[in-house]
Amino acid sequence: MTSTVHIDVHHLTRVEGHGNIIVNVTDGAIEKCEWQVPEAPRFFESMVRGRHYSEVARITSRICGICAVGHTLASVKATEDALGIEISEQSLKLREILKHAENADSHVLHAYILVAPDLAGAPSVFPLVETMPDVVARALRLKRLCHEWGSLIGGRTTHPTTVVPGGMAEVPTNKQLAELKQKLVAAVPDLEATVETVAALAPSIPAFDRPTEYLALSSDDAYAVYAGEIQSVLPDGTKQRYPVADYRLVTNEFVVPQSTAKYTKNKLDSYAAGALARFNNNYDMLVPEAKKAAEALGLQPICTNPYMNTVAQVVEVVHSVYDSLRLIDELLETGVKLEPLAQPTKHGRGIESVEVPRGILFHEYDYDAEGICQGANCIIPTNQNHNNIQHDFNVLVPQLLAADKSEDDMELALSMLVRAYDPCISCSTHVLDVKFVR
Amino acid sequence: MRYLIGLGNYLAGDDGVGVHVVEHVVANGLERGFTAVELATNALNMISYLGPETEAVVVVDAAYLGLEPGDYCIFAPDEVETQKELAGFSTHEGDPLKVLELARSAGYTIPPFAVMGIEPLGVEHGTGLSARLSERLPAYAAAAIEHLRGL
Repeated sequence: MTSTVHIDVHHLTRVEGHGNIIVNVTDGAIEKCEWQVPEAPRFFESMVRGRHYSEVARITSRICGICAVGHTLASVKATEDALGIEISEQSLKLREILKHAENADSHVLHAYILVAPDLAGAPSVFPLVETMPDVVARALRLKRLCHEWGSLIGGRTTHPTTVVPGGMAEVPTNKQLAELKQKLVAAVPDLEATVETVAALAPSIPAFDRPTEYLALSSDDAYAVYAGEIQSVLPDGTKQRYPVADYRLVTNEFVVPQSTAKYTKNKLDSYAAGALARFNNNYDMLVPEAKKAAEALGLQPICTNPYMNTVAQVVEVVHSVYDSLRLIDELLETGVKLEPLAQPTKHGRGIESVEVPRGILFHEYDYDAEGICQGANCIIPTNQNHNNIQHDFNVLVPQLLAADKSEDDMELALSMLVRAYDPCISCSTHVLDVKFVR
Repeated sequence: MRYLIGLGNYLAGDDGVGVHVVEHVVANGLERGFTAVELATNALNMISYLGPETEAVVVVDAAYLGLEPGDYCIFAPDEVETQKELAGFSTHEGDPLKVLELARSAGYTIPPFAVMGIEPLGVEHGTGLSARLSERLPAYAAAAIEHLRGL
């Protein structure tokens, strides 16, 4: 058994934002084993106070450069809930397509750019350009498709402009939707190749199981990404649903010394959100093509290996493409037209949720009679996963020690575990830092 | 098509100057003969604007160049080397120079390309630019457009 280990990963790479892995083992005794989140809070809830309801989603969209669509949708939906605004069926379908685009976009980025290097034994995606050029080219093709897919519906994928309280400020033409359909159909071979690539790399996915609670939106009508109720599934398959309005009773936020981000828990010591949580809760609602992909990848509910979250993401990409094709067909059947925005009918508190790539996202707002925001609360999925990551560490580290793993192997296993959750800790500054060479 | 692309975090002070330049261009009707695009912190989406059909690209971003805050420099990617420690690669680390390197190595046709780097005064969390950069937005926009047209 490994007796002495000192792992200090200060700012883990290939995750969004900053997190640290600290493990100290002396003479076989684990003195410290922590997933730390050191980033400063950004107080978005304060930024939206005093703002008119028409501005709020514009601000909260900026919480994240990857989940900007999700934050916009959750924000607008909560505002509509607070103000008694009912949107049209057409707006609902367009927003669902947009949500699919974002989830697929982020999943492609995560699976191909952030995780594939681990599975292929490379330090980053750059060496893969030499060793797996077709795979990298496919990744960039899919990334571009997802960007165009989201941009058509959302105006742009990063901080979308078309989604506003009351509906959609702009809509694509029928011709543009038909062209998007053609692009999605043309991408099917790339989806199939993606499944084959991940299946080929799957033997490199660590075998680690830790039963936990999985939380996701759920619906009797669809594989919920845009709307539904909160659903918990336990390792024995027991499910329970909660109204979204009861999200505080489910998330139960609390603070711990090692993290500036709050932790959450529900029925067990921790719970997981994200693609695997959605898959475990809502497998029955996947389209047949996605179920087929899951079968090819050896993924079935209830999967308790957190490393398989990336595999669940690939299954969801397949689902998002095919479900978007269905939605596009329905829209084309009736024809898309610009509709007047639905107007407020009341004021007060609104609470809503959507499934962003990393899991279930909650937004809550209070508005006064003039439509001015008086209070807000946002609980993002990455924060809901920190506690679960820590509990994974608590089980995994003793297993790695017992297996006599080297310090480097342990560091890799823990880094891969965190990366599997696809954490998006924050979008901080990304200012260029360059030196002139000529 | 020619593209003026703004990068940066809108809620991190001067880090968002590229986004503010794009907003200024659109708000003042200066978007003629090119398309202004805001990619915020998602630099990897630059991939969508690279290819044989693209005539030229100018990216506007905050940059540590050793200049006085507010001053700027327009340079070609091969004139510099990034000083960022990118042990991996993520959207968060989305350095446009690394995105360009990835696209080039993956066989993309890279159009005439320039970066307008603007030295930030402060990149703390919060809305809005520093006064020093804010008052120069028209000059940044004019310089970026002129360069884009000449590429």
